[in-house]
Amino acid sequence: MDDARGLELRDVTVRAGETPILNGVSVRFAPGKMNVVLGPNGAGKTTLLRVATGLAHPTSGEVRYDGESVAALAPEPLARRRAVLSQHVELAFSLSVADVVLMGRYPHYGRVPRARDFEIVERALELVGMADKREQAYPTLSGGEQQKAQLARVLAQIWRDEGDTSDERATHRFLFLDEPISGLDVHYQLHILQVVRGLLAREITVVAVLHDLNVAFEYGDRFVLLDQGRVAADESDSRSVSASVLERVFRVRAERIEGAGASGGYWHFEL
Amino acid sequence: MTRRSDAFVFAMLAVVLAVALVASACIGAFTFTPARIASYIAQGAGWNPMRDADALGRNVFFQLRLPRVFMGALAGAVLGVSGTLMQGLFRNPIVEPGLAGTSAGAALGASLVFVLGGGTGALAFSAPLGAFAVPVLAFGGAFGATILVYRISSSFGKVNVFTLLLAGIAVNAVCGAGTGFLSYVARDPQARNITFWSLGTFTTADWRGVSIVAACFAVCFVIALGYAKPLNALMLGEDEAALLGADPRKLIVRLLVLNTIMVAATTAMVGVIAFVGLVVPHVLRMVRSSSYAFLLPASALLGATMMVVVDIVAREVIPPAELPIGIITAVIGAPVFLWILLREQRRGSTNYYG
Repeated sequence: MDDARGLELRDVTVRAGETPILNGVSVRFAPGKMNVVLGPNGAGKTTLLRVATGLAHPTSGEVRYDGESVAALAPEPLARRRAVLSQHVELAFSLSVADVVLMGRYPHYGRVPRARDFEIVERALELVGMADKREQAYPTLSGGEQQKAQLARVLAQIWRDEGDTSDERATHRFLFLDEPISGLDVHYQLHILQVVRGLLAREITVVAVLHDLNVAFEYGDRFVLLDQGRVAADESDSRSVSASVLERVFRVRAERIEGAGASGGYWHFEL
Repeated sequence: MTRRSDAFVFAMLAVVLAVALVASACIGAFTFTPARIASYIAQGAGWNPMRDADALGRNVFFQLRLPRVFMGALAGAVLGVSGTLMQGLFRNPIVEPGLAGTSAGAALGASLVFVLGGGTGALAFSAPLGAFAVPVLAFGGAFGATILVYRISSSFGKVNVFTLLLAGIAVNAVCGAGTGFLSYVARDPQARNITFWSLGTFTTADWRGVSIVAACFAVCFVIALGYAKPLNALMLGEDEAALLGADPRKLIVRLLVLNTIMVAATTAMVGVIAFVGLVVPHVLRMVRSSSYAFLLPASALLGATMMVVVDIVAREVIPPAELPIGIITAVIGAPVFLWILLREQRRGSTNYYG
C-alpha cells in the first residue's frame, strides 16, 4: 500500500498572534476509516478541521491529501475531493431540497448540470432517506431533516458509486464532520452516523469532531484526543483510551461500565 | 428541477415585456397608433419611399418617445438585476441599490461633474477626464458608498440587518446632503434639475444615453450570469461557499464592481430610482425560486417591464405634467419593503439571513 494514501497533517502549528491554537500536530487519517477527533472546548478541534479542509492555512507545517499539499490545490479540484458537514447550516433564501443537494455538484459541472449530476443528487437523497422531500422548501424542514439534506449535499459533492473502485484520478475522497449531530434528537443522530459509517465501504476517509464521547467510541475506528493544541492520545481501539487521560483532559471523573453498547462498554462521567 | 422549465417563464416574461414596450411607445402626450408606428419604422427602413407629411410625429417618435421607452426598459433591467445581485451578496432580501447607497453615491459623483465640472480654475477638475467625467465619478461615488455600507454591516462573514439599514440610511443621507448642496449652489438652470433628477426621470433620454446604458448592462449582465452557481452557494454562508470551490472574497468584489458599473451608468442618465431592485427579486422569489440561474435573467425581464409600466403611469397621471419616476416606485416599493421587514421580524430573528 502506498504510504502517502489518505490525509496527513505534518507538524501543523496554528497561532493566533502569539498564542498557539495547534502546536505541532502530526497525524495521519487512513482511508475507509471513521476517524474521530475528541477534546474539550478550546482544545483546537475546530481549528484542526479548518486547516485539514483547506479553509484555513497553518502558520507552519503542512496538510497533505494522498501526498499532495492542500495549499497547492485550486478551490474547485479541492472541493471535488473533500466535503464538510457543519453543525447547522442556514439558508439565506428558500430553495428546494433538490436545489440544495445539487449545490454539492457545483464543483463538478460548468454552467449547466449534466444528467449524471441529477442522478447523483437523486441517489444521495435516497441514501439519506429524503427522496420524498426533494421538492419541499428547505427552510420548512425540521432541524433533523435539514441536516439530512445537508448530508446529502456533501455526499453528492464527493460522490462515488458503491463498488466503484476505478477512481479516475486515483485520489481519495475525504468527508469532514464538524459536530454533525449536535442539537439533533437521538433518531437523527443515529441515522446520520449510520449513513456516514455506510460510506466507509466506498473508501471515503471520514474525520469527525464529536462531542458525545460514548457516541464517538461506539461509531469511531480511531480516536485522536486533542488537549491544548496537542495530541494527548491517539488510539485505534476505544478500549485503549484510559480513564486517567479522559479525567485529565476533560477535568471530570470517568468510569467505564463494561458490557454495554456496541463498543463493549459505556463511560460514566462525574464532576 | 421544478414544474415548468425556466425557459417557459422567461418566454412569458418576455411576451409581457414586449406588450409593455409597445404600449409605452403608443401612449403619451403624442398618441401613436401601432399602425402609425409600423409606418414610421417602415419609412425609417426605407420600405415606404412615399413622402409623409407627418415629419413632426416621426421626429417625436424616433427622437423622444423611442429612446425614452428603451431607457426605461434598460434602467428597469439594471435595477432589477442589481437588486438580485446585491441581495445575493449581502445574503439579505432588503438590500437594493437605492437603500444601500449605490444610487445615491452615483448621483453625488455625477452631480459633482454637472455643477462643478463646467467651472473654471480649481473647479475644472473634471476637464482631463473629458466625456468620461460623469461615468467615472458616478462609478467612484457608487462604489465608495456600497463598499462603506458593506464593510459596516458585515463582520465575520455575516451581514447584520439593522446595521445594514442604519449604514444605508447614513450613507444615503450624506450623499443626499452633498447632492442637495450642489444643486443649491448651482447657477446653471440645468444643474438645478438635479432636484428633479434625484427622484428619477426619463425625459432627458436620448440615443447616446441609451447606448451607454445598454452597453454597460449587456456586458455586466452576461458576466454576472456566469456567477449564478457561486451566488447560490453563498446562500449557505461564506465558509460553505468556499468549501464548494467558490472564492467568496473575489466573488463579492467582482460582483460589486459589475453591479456598480451598471448602476452608476444608469443613475448618471436617469437619476435615483429606489425600490425597483427590491420589489422585482422579491416577487420572483415568491412566485418561483431563489436560484440565481433563474433570478438573474428573470429580474432583468421583470425589472424592465415594471419600469416601462411605471413610466407610462408617470406620463399619464397628471398630464401634461410628469411625475418623477421615483415617486411612483416608492409608492409601490415602500409597502413591500415594510412587509418584508415585518415578515422577517415574525420569523423571530432579525439577522436570520446572516
